[in-house]
Amino acid sequence: MTAITAPNSAILLVGHPNVGKSVLFHRLTGAYVNVSNYPGTTVEVTRASARFDREAVLLDTPGVLSLPSRSDDERATMRALLNEETRCLVQVGDAKNLRRTLSLTALLAELDVPMVLALNMHDEATARGVIVDIPALAEELGIPVLATVATGGDGLGELTGSLGHARRPGALLHYDADSEADIARVGEAIGRLAPHPHLAARGLAILYLGGDAEVAAWLEEKAGDRFPEIKALRQAASHRTANRVAAVLARERSEAADALAASVIQRAPRSSPLLAQRIGQYVVHPLWGIPILLGVLYLVYQFVGVFGATTLVGLLEEDLFEGILNPAFTDFVTVAVDVPWIAEMLVGPYGLWTMGMTYALALILPIVTTFFIAFGVLEDSGYLPRLSVIANRLFALIGLNGRAVLPMVLGLGCVTMATLTTRILHSPRERLITVFLLALAIPCSAQLGVVLGMLGSLSFTAVLIWTLAMVGVLMLAGFLASKLIPGRRIPLVTELPPMRLPIAGNVVKKTAGRLKWYLIEVIPLFLIGTFLMFALDKLGVLPAIIEAGEPLVTGWLGLPKEASAAFVMGFLRRDFGATGLFAMADALNPIQAVVGMITITLFIPCFASLLMMVKERGMKTALAMVVIIVPFAFFVGGLFNLLLHAVW
Amino acid sequence: MTPKPEIRKAARLPLAFIPPGQEVRLAGFGDEIDALQSEQLTAYGLAESRPLRVLQQRPMTVILADEIELALEHAVARHIWVEKDAGAGQG
Repeated sequence: MTAITAPNSAILLVGHPNVGKSVLFHRLTGAYVNVSNYPGTTVEVTRASARFDREAVLLDTPGVLSLPSRSDDERATMRALLNEETRCLVQVGDAKNLRRTLSLTALLAELDVPMVLALNMHDEATARGVIVDIPALAEELGIPVLATVATGGDGLGELTGSLGHARRPGALLHYDADSEADIARVGEAIGRLAPHPHLAARGLAILYLGGDAEVAAWLEEKAGDRFPEIKALRQAASHRTANRVAAVLARERSEAADALAASVIQRAPRSSPLLAQRIGQYVVHPLWGIPILLGVLYLVYQFVGVFGATTLVGLLEEDLFEGILNPAFTDFVTVAVDVPWIAEMLVGPYGLWTMGMTYALALILPIVTTFFIAFGVLEDSGYLPRLSVIANRLFALIGLNGRAVLPMVLGLGCVTMATLTTRILHSPRERLITVFLLALAIPCSAQLGVVLGMLGSLSFTAVLIWTLAMVGVLMLAGFLASKLIPGRRIPLVTELPPMRLPIAGNVVKKTAGRLKWYLIEVIPLFLIGTFLMFALDKLGVLPAIIEAGEPLVTGWLGLPKEASAAFVMGFLRRDFGATGLFAMADALNPIQAVVGMITITLFIPCFASLLMMVKERGMKTALAMVVIIVPFAFFVGGLFNLLLHAVW
Repeated sequence: MTPKPEIRKAARLPLAFIPPGQEVRLAGFGDEIDALQSEQLTAYGLAESRPLRVLQQRPMTVILADEIELALEHAVARHIWVEKDAGAGQG
């Protein structure tokens, strides 16, 4: 076992989901990646230069429940292992779940890459009476092992210091004789036909025998027309074990991890569960779970819908923009700009300042800020994964399991990011249904805020009707999609991370990061949208569209014909369209407001999320979704127009 | 001479049938658990003869395995076989 130091190569952070890899990555690089208290926050590999060594590049990989890789995020990690010129692996493990951590160590050790093991969340382990004999573990594994608390920065100096002493670990186990023979045969073939520059043929053989699709693809490419020789060896192994080779290898690794963990762990007796555990159990309690959920929703509504969308928007839009900034800027432009159409472009009805910037900064910014704060608190508390337990039965009706609640709830923050997060779902069918529902019926934070602001100022009934409409459409569309899309539903098995008190600094960092994204992405699009509206108006196209849309907008939806402009805006971003309706709220009666908001919420999402849909599901599927969604939005809006006139 | 204690064989029960608060040992997965799911459960630390504590059964089965809290649908928990410790009461 020799220490390895190879300059200009990557240090990979790998480990189970939700063990603190991203916090550690932030601490070691200064680069902020989204950090939350639920599995699946990271779905793509992120890289940045290390603070402690400018020549080193750190990679934050998505958490792996196990290897061989199965899900999209696990495959992303496997690709990083296969393709990066790795200086060393830093396995980040959960100190309180050492058995599980060592199961992964048992596999990573076979790759024969220098390793360091960071046992993170050491404070939580201590609080639960779990004491790990770290020197003994380091000796058994033959690699540096360190206790860290990434959130508090504890042990990070020791960790960076240990990277220079990373060692190739010894194997944790010998598999049973038959499996060892299979591994040897496949390993020999890999070493001969498709040698990897730095990963051991034995490790690749174990992964390939376990059914890792990424390793198989890599070997196929590397071995070319000799690949069938390797493939035949795996088929023989599968035949011998009745297709249970992956399970046999995983079980034996688990047993080895058990034995090693038992020898280095001491457990202090504990009389009662921790407060965090008690709270966690109440949150998914059959009796208390729903009242707690309603309480959480009420608090979010009060903070975002009332404080953000009413109080802050009132201060910013009415007092600051309409009262001070807009008149001052209009006066300035009127005096300073001689060309009337330029002045109108800046401060007219479709002015870049009076419409674009006012919408973005005065109407949307306070709403998304409050939403991001509330969302950050919920993310870090560990509440969101528990929602999957409460929502599971409901999601079963639409062919999904409760795991899909995570992308759905994330969609309330940003549909674009949530579309990417569907990678945490286990089957293509689940991902397709979830992406479709996200595009159809999940409003993003900006739009949600506008809806709450507009309908909340009317009445609670208006908010309730809109909510029921969205849930109804979500359930109906999901039910139909689950019947039409072939495949079976996968029952839910999910880990519930510990409930934690959110750290204010992380919530602030996350909110700031998201607001930065908002300002960079949304303001230019709002300005482009406003300019397009101005140009269409000047060219006489907008009035023509408004006239052409009258039968649909006025006849079917029962809205003023000027609302057509909002739907044109909605093609760019649906929150932009919603803001257009919000701005004409005085001209709408309660039924029109509800119908307008239902229609625009069901509209196609923003351009960025459309691109993400294309990336994740392909152009054909994305376009098919748009073709379904646009007419469906108008159809449902019209139905509610008829229904509400009949009963309200 | 003290008589030898009677050795009782523990009955195997589905995890979904175990009342909250009880500690049991995992006996195995039924054939209905497919290979992928079995791998997933093993990765969560569910292995034969490991102790589990049942925290609740509604709306889903929630267990504590080591320090990992896991929620499982009854469709899965029905096919995970567990044993109460031999000689243990109904506790």
